[in-house]
Amino acid sequence: MQGFTPNTDFSELHSTMRAIELASNSIQMQISPAASEAIILSLGQSSQPYKTCQFILENSLVATARFQAAAAIREAAIREWGFLNADDKRSLISFCLCYAMQHASSPDSYVQAKVSSVAAQLMKRGWLEVVAAEKETLFYQVNQAILGIHGVDVQFAGIKFLESLVSEFSPSTSSAMGLPREFHEQCRRSLERDYMKTFYQWTQEAASSVTNRIIESDSVVPEVKVCTAALDLMLQILNWDFRSNTSDTKINVFSAGVGQDGDSFRRPECHLVQPGSDWRDVLILSGHVGWLLSLYAALRPKFTYEGYWLDCPIAVSARKLIVQFCSLTGTVFLSDDGKMHERHLLQLLSGILEWVDPPDAVSKAIENGKSDSEMIDGCRAILAIANVTTPCVFDNLLKSMRAIGTLTFLSMWMSEVIKVLITRNTEDGTWSWEARDILLDTWTALLMPINTITVNDLLPSEGIKAAANLFGFIVECELRMASASAFNDEGDSDYLRASISAMDERLSSYALIARASIDVTIPLLTHVFSERVTRLNQGRGIIDLTETMEELYSLMLIIGHVIADEGEGEMPLVPNAIQTQFVVNSVEADKHPVILLSSTIIKFAEQCLNPEMRDSVFSPRLMESIIWFLARWSSTYLMSSDGIGEKILDSGHHYEHSSKKVLLSFFGEHNQGRVILDIIVRISLITLTSYPGEKDLQGLTCYMLLHSLVQQRHICVQLVALNSWHELANAFSTEKTLFLLDISHQRSLAQTLVRSASGVRNSEESSQYVRNLMGHIATYIVEMSSKSNLKNVAQQPDILLSVSCMLERLRGAASASEPRTQKAIYELGFSVMNPILVLLEVYKHESAVVYLLLKFVVDWVDGQITYLEAQETAAVVNFCMRLLQLYSSHNIGKISLSLSSSLLSEAQTDKYKDLRALLQLLSSLCSKDMIDFSSDSIEAQGTNISQVVYFGLHIVTPLISMDLLKYPKLCHDYFSLLSHLLEVYPETFAQLNSEAFNHILGTLDFGLHHQDVDVVSKCLRALQALASYHYKETGNGNIGLGAHAMGLKDSSGEVQEGLLSRFLRSLLQLLFFEDYSSDLISVAADALLPLILCEKGLYQVNDSS
Amino acid sequence: MSDEEHHFESKADAGASKTYPQQAGTIRKNGYIVIKNRPCKVVEVSTSKTGKHGHAKCHFVAIDIFTSKKLEDIVPSSHNCDVPHVNRTDYQLIDISEDGFVSLLTENGNTKDDLKLPTDDNLLTQIKEGFAEGKDLVVSVMSSMGEEQINALKDIGPKN
Repeated sequence: MQGFTPNTDFSELHSTMRAIELASNSIQMQISPAASEAIILSLGQSSQPYKTCQFILENSLVATARFQAAAAIREAAIREWGFLNADDKRSLISFCLCYAMQHASSPDSYVQAKVSSVAAQLMKRGWLEVVAAEKETLFYQVNQAILGIHGVDVQFAGIKFLESLVSEFSPSTSSAMGLPREFHEQCRRSLERDYMKTFYQWTQEAASSVTNRIIESDSVVPEVKVCTAALDLMLQILNWDFRSNTSDTKINVFSAGVGQDGDSFRRPECHLVQPGSDWRDVLILSGHVGWLLSLYAALRPKFTYEGYWLDCPIAVSARKLIVQFCSLTGTVFLSDDGKMHERHLLQLLSGILEWVDPPDAVSKAIENGKSDSEMIDGCRAILAIANVTTPCVFDNLLKSMRAIGTLTFLSMWMSEVIKVLITRNTEDGTWSWEARDILLDTWTALLMPINTITVNDLLPSEGIKAAANLFGFIVECELRMASASAFNDEGDSDYLRASISAMDERLSSYALIARASIDVTIPLLTHVFSERVTRLNQGRGIIDLTETMEELYSLMLIIGHVIADEGEGEMPLVPNAIQTQFVVNSVEADKHPVILLSSTIIKFAEQCLNPEMRDSVFSPRLMESIIWFLARWSSTYLMSSDGIGEKILDSGHHYEHSSKKVLLSFFGEHNQGRVILDIIVRISLITLTSYPGEKDLQGLTCYMLLHSLVQQRHICVQLVALNSWHELANAFSTEKTLFLLDISHQRSLAQTLVRSASGVRNSEESSQYVRNLMGHIATYIVEMSSKSNLKNVAQQPDILLSVSCMLERLRGAASASEPRTQKAIYELGFSVMNPILVLLEVYKHESAVVYLLLKFVVDWVDGQITYLEAQETAAVVNFCMRLLQLYSSHNIGKISLSLSSSLLSEAQTDKYKDLRALLQLLSSLCSKDMIDFSSDSIEAQGTNISQVVYFGLHIVTPLISMDLLKYPKLCHDYFSLLSHLLEVYPETFAQLNSEAFNHILGTLDFGLHHQDVDVVSKCLRALQALASYHYKETGNGNIGLGAHAMGLKDSSGEVQEGLLSRFLRSLLQLLFFEDYSSDLISVAADALLPLILCEKGLYQVNDSS
Repeated sequence: MSDEEHHFESKADAGASKTYPQQAGTIRKNGYIVIKNRPCKVVEVSTSKTGKHGHAKCHFVAIDIFTSKKLEDIVPSSHNCDVPHVNRTDYQLIDISEDGFVSLLTENGNTKDDLKLPTDDNLLTQIKEGFAEGKDLVVSVMSSMGEEQINALKDIGPKN
């Protein structure tokens, strides 16, 4: 390839320039791009191309060639930085800087921008080696430029240079230089400490120097460009992640005096600007904010002029900077009880109000075609203010200017936005959606502490009223939207779960607003709900009720969010506002608003038990919301074990918490709890039996409602005493309709029913309960497997379906195993062990059934293994091995033939799932050696778990092809098991025959070169275990891995390398020559040491060669 | 929906394996279904509602188990669909005749000679090569609604 050597010869410089120009032009015109690219690349790759590049920059008329020359300087200089002498470095930087300044007014500004950014990068590269004085000289030039003595264009260029410099020094936007992180971090710290504020001041001065010209002129003047750049740079600097001041004031992050509540929740995406006290003079005391606001205020009347408009660059930049100033907090303000901060925010708010006040007029203007940017930026600003203040401070801000508080204004503002949202009924993505979401976030930021702090302490009474009004309006609008959308058939996407999770954030924000004024909103919700119910009852059979049904659906979701929290796996508490806001006399419990509301809803839900009502009113969708509500409600209120919550909250406030006590005792075991539980069970039975084919509804009933009911023992005690629960259990065993449920729902139901056995009085009776429930299923399987014509009937669809159902039910029961029911479930599984093998044989071609069989065994063994006595263990282990062998004999060497590629890939997936199940089975068996609750040692029966598992692995591994290992989960499971085995039982591994041994080594080698770090580290751990075992054993005079470790002669007489030396080689190969993640270093080193110790000779030979 | 038209058609197929009615909601992915009077394997099931407050319906995408053609159907969840009886039998492969028929050994010692080799080249070579190499091959034959086809091949070790 043609190279570019440093050459002062003019003609050669000229010819190189021509070559680059030609190449740049032809790239643009797409003529032989590869060759041209090579020419351009060779410029940057050649040694010391600086003269050439400078020549091109100064003389070429082709802009793209100049651009490429600048890029080449950057590339070469970063690469050769270590070899350049100090003068060269300095002259390169100053060349670039001067070039950018001198050509500031030339066209093709992207070339200047590139050169300027090259200057910034080179400056950073030399930042830590250059003395301060030298930097001062350079920055002096920059300052001169920014001050505007060389004219507007140079001023602009100077600001732009600082912008690239700051972005180079900011870790998230810096360019790569092939240097350690530490270098970038030191540069960042140095710039923040020594220069950032100075830069800001220069920019500020530059901006104010041009302000008058801009304000006075009626048309766009060149100074606008400078001012915009200055505003952008200021924004960029304020976006800097200031660290020097935050480390020592961590506790006081939320500014002095304001927002003291340390546990208040702040959204992670909200960016707080905390430059620290050093910046006070520049940002606060200098009247900077006042200047900014008046600049924007002066711009506003100009928006009608030529060249200005609401979204012109200078207006956008100014607004962004104003919003950014709203996020300013921390020690930059005096710790004078927040006064200074309040004044700052007040000043900003008075400016921002111009954009959004009065909301109705502004929104009308937007609907008539005005840009929405001021409105949206106004929302962002108010969100930023909410993030740095407490609700009280927030509310007071506006009071000094207006008769109303900020909260009241916010409530009016948001109502207006929602009004537009529903009247337009527009698609997602319009301004009213965005504004609504930002304002909701604002409420959330303000009200989040409501979950820990009493409302009255948090909000002024006016604010509470504002929240109540807003919530009332929200409910009205949501209902209107619901009824308007009742006939929209949006098809598949409109499912309860999907729609709830999409709306969840919104509903949670609504709930916070409602809880801020809970004593008003609960009665309101009760009223609205009852009204809709009345409408249903009156209109039933007369008019179409779809709209009302949709309204109730929507209300159910809102109410669910307001009165109860999602537990997220934990027991949810009664929301703080509900605990503290109601003062109730325990005698009049049924007058408690929350009890009234809950009872109203439960009474309504109960009506679905009436077949007539069900047909006319309770649509599947409405039932989904009812089940969802009942699940959410019951985990908070129904027979809630009171003790836990009481301890967490301060027990001193007995009076305040009377509300909670009344609630929990009303819905407790000794009061209404049982009645309601009974209703819930009856409703569940109805959804399972009377809504055929409604999978989503039944799924919610099984997974959400019933499943969560049986999680608590004291509820199980009540459940098993209910007639309705026995009806459910009975229906489960006998009723045909329940066999039509989705089979995974049947599994869940079996699990739930078996789990409820924990509520039965003693273990004797609970075992009997399980036997009654599941016995006939085992009998069915046993009888089926012993049918003489099984082979003929097995594949009939009806038999296939019922066998699948029974297996899933067995699996559900097996996975509900608890110490109390363990014995019964063991017997259950034991009785079907042989039938399972028979079915595996009969259904060997029916992959779906095979999978169910395997999964049942996996879950059963997993639940049982730790409890089994020696004899039982032997039986189970023996059964598992027969199962593995049978499965293997069916599948080894089998090729599926099908024309359809999707059916073939399905077959592959089925195989993968089977194998994964088998590996899980082996892992469960393994755990017997780790955790064992049985009374005697399993060795007594001669069961050696390690041998068993290796034997199992020996059966399974040939089925695992390299293709199948491409399934990440299978791969993961396989290597987990393998590394576990090699770590725990290296001695058994050593005893394997050479075929099995080599297969395992082959997969280990495969795993070592896998992409997944986790897999590689598992393999490394396995290797370490093997080598250490061998080293220790041989040190004690034993054979260790014996023949496997030595070189072996295989059948054809060729010498095979011993495994340790082979892996030593391949590991070194990996470490030295291949890419690997740095996360692996430590585990690789752990594996390397014992390998080297075992194979010292080989290591030294390699070392010296 | 469309299933009602061909609900009873399969009975015309005298002597062939029957189809069974089964609730649409219980038919899962990897299960079988009759669509347009063809036995199919379901590769995708999705549910939707007929209107917001209406009932659920199932949308099936399935593949004809013999021709590999893709077929689709929409059925209300609570209605019945026809499910084919799909049987699979293993036979040992005795011979491949030149006219493309195979000779198979049945369980009771007779031979079954009425089955053709698959037409697809790829499948064909797998069978032919395996047979030529002298491997002991077991073929599994899938039959449903009066049709039969070889659908899997298994090597049970070299011939002795």
